[in-house]
Amino acid sequence: MAINERRGYRSGLVDLRAGEISREIFVNEDIYAQEQERVFARAWLHVGHESQIPKPGDYFVSSMGEESVILCRDRANRIHVFLNSCRHRGMKVCRYDEGSTTVFTCPYHGWSYGTDGRLVGVPYFREAYHLRLDKEKWGLVEVAQLCNYKGSIWATWDPAAPPFAEYLGDFTRYLDLQLDGWDGREGQAEVLGGIQKWLVPCNWKFPAENFSGDTYHNISHRSVDLAGIGPSGASRRDMGERDVSRKLHVCIPDRGHQTIHYVLPAGQTPPPAYLNAPIVAEYFRHCEEEKRRLRGEEARLVGAPGEIFPNTALLSRQPRTMAAWHPRGPHQTECWRWFFVDRDAPKEVKEFLRDYYIRYSGPAGMTEQDDMENWNYAHAASRGTIARRHPYNYDQGSGTAVTDYEYQGLRVPGEVIDLTEVQSSEQPMRNFYRRWAEFMEADDWSQLATWRLNERKAAE
Amino acid sequence: MSGPINIRDLAPGTSVVLASGAEAEIVDNPRDGVWLFARYLAAPRDPTLVGQEEMIFAQDVVALGKARTSSQAP
Repeated sequence: MAINERRGYRSGLVDLRAGEISREIFVNEDIYAQEQERVFARAWLHVGHESQIPKPGDYFVSSMGEESVILCRDRANRIHVFLNSCRHRGMKVCRYDEGSTTVFTCPYHGWSYGTDGRLVGVPYFREAYHLRLDKEKWGLVEVAQLCNYKGSIWATWDPAAPPFAEYLGDFTRYLDLQLDGWDGREGQAEVLGGIQKWLVPCNWKFPAENFSGDTYHNISHRSVDLAGIGPSGASRRDMGERDVSRKLHVCIPDRGHQTIHYVLPAGQTPPPAYLNAPIVAEYFRHCEEEKRRLRGEEARLVGAPGEIFPNTALLSRQPRTMAAWHPRGPHQTECWRWFFVDRDAPKEVKEFLRDYYIRYSGPAGMTEQDDMENWNYAHAASRGTIARRHPYNYDQGSGTAVTDYEYQGLRVPGEVIDLTEVQSSEQPMRNFYRRWAEFMEADDWSQLATWRLNERKAAE
Repeated sequence: MSGPINIRDLAPGTSVVLASGAEAEIVDNPRDGVWLFARYLAAPRDPTLVGQEEMIFAQDVVALGKARTSSQAP
């Protein structure tokens, strides 16, 4: 179905003033095709973690939008991200999920590339090419920019995109909660085990909006709460700190990142957790104490589900995971989930967390299964001709966000809604789709880096 | 006539004869079945290649060389 050109993305398909978003943005194939160019070819995307490629020659095949990419460490220990496609006829040069190699060889005609991306082997280079092929020109296609942020690897195809730290803006502290040690030391996370990957028959924006901070769907998880899949056999998590904290929605409006977030009262220690497992309980008690010593007031921040635009989900508090929602057509998403632990944690702690993580998250995780079922059926029920005529409602809590939120001396930047009493808002989803619409309409990063325009105006 | 050689099984130190008549000693094998890293031991058509390291394409390998210095890998 072609899109009506008169309906733009902002105030048309994404009408935030009315609190309405058209179903077309989830099911329309033309819109999906535009997203690949306008969103996934321009945004910073999460590719993997350096702990997945510890030694020279190690590689991990990942995805950026629809594109298969190779994250690898070359012989000189430099990290690269390459398009996984031979420059000769496009065949994948790597068809394994991960491993270690000296070269990536195309099985079609045999062109071969070093782990630094250079074309090193061309069959019949002397005889058929008469030594005239410029090998320097025909190396693997490399991303325009790569950033190793505390061990997590991010990349973009757009050379004009701002540096990753600027792309994150004030959202940095929430990614830090994911990647720093539980004791507050910088960049202590490592990936635990393999990456869980599975397909869900829904548009990629369903999980992205869910992890942006949908607290309204908690009723879906009533069964796991009742079953008590949490570490201590009660509810879903051992997180008594939630009961004493302020619960917030935090949105970074000009970046499109958003999260649920908890702030402990000043001087409050998180209640003990994991009491069924003394080694684990002692580990986290010690870490919390160290964090307060190292971070001071910042140790009052407690992470929760969030989303870095466009398709990376964070969950820094237990279960500590990150996810990528890879688009596989308008009606299918490939979900990838990474599980994290502190690399210096005792083996008993890692094993304990592994059991809990897989019980909670991933395709066999009881909580994630609830989510998949919602996304699956919501998408399917939105594809029909009649269904597409009726927009979704995103009006919850409109106009109630503040930009000067402070709780007992701790200021929280961004647009904030305190959920402690109101329970839920749709500010994070509005924030996500506002940014999505900007990406879909903007010609380039000179229009997308709206904060730079504002800074320039302020300077004038 | 012998069949094609499975170069995945060749260990470093093994020498191979190429279609050009050259002979080269394997210095590394990525075991992708397509390429070998090898050093030329003899190159009748282009003696300047002797001593140089180059990637050798599987289809150029026609026989095991006489200068084989180690056995094939299991």
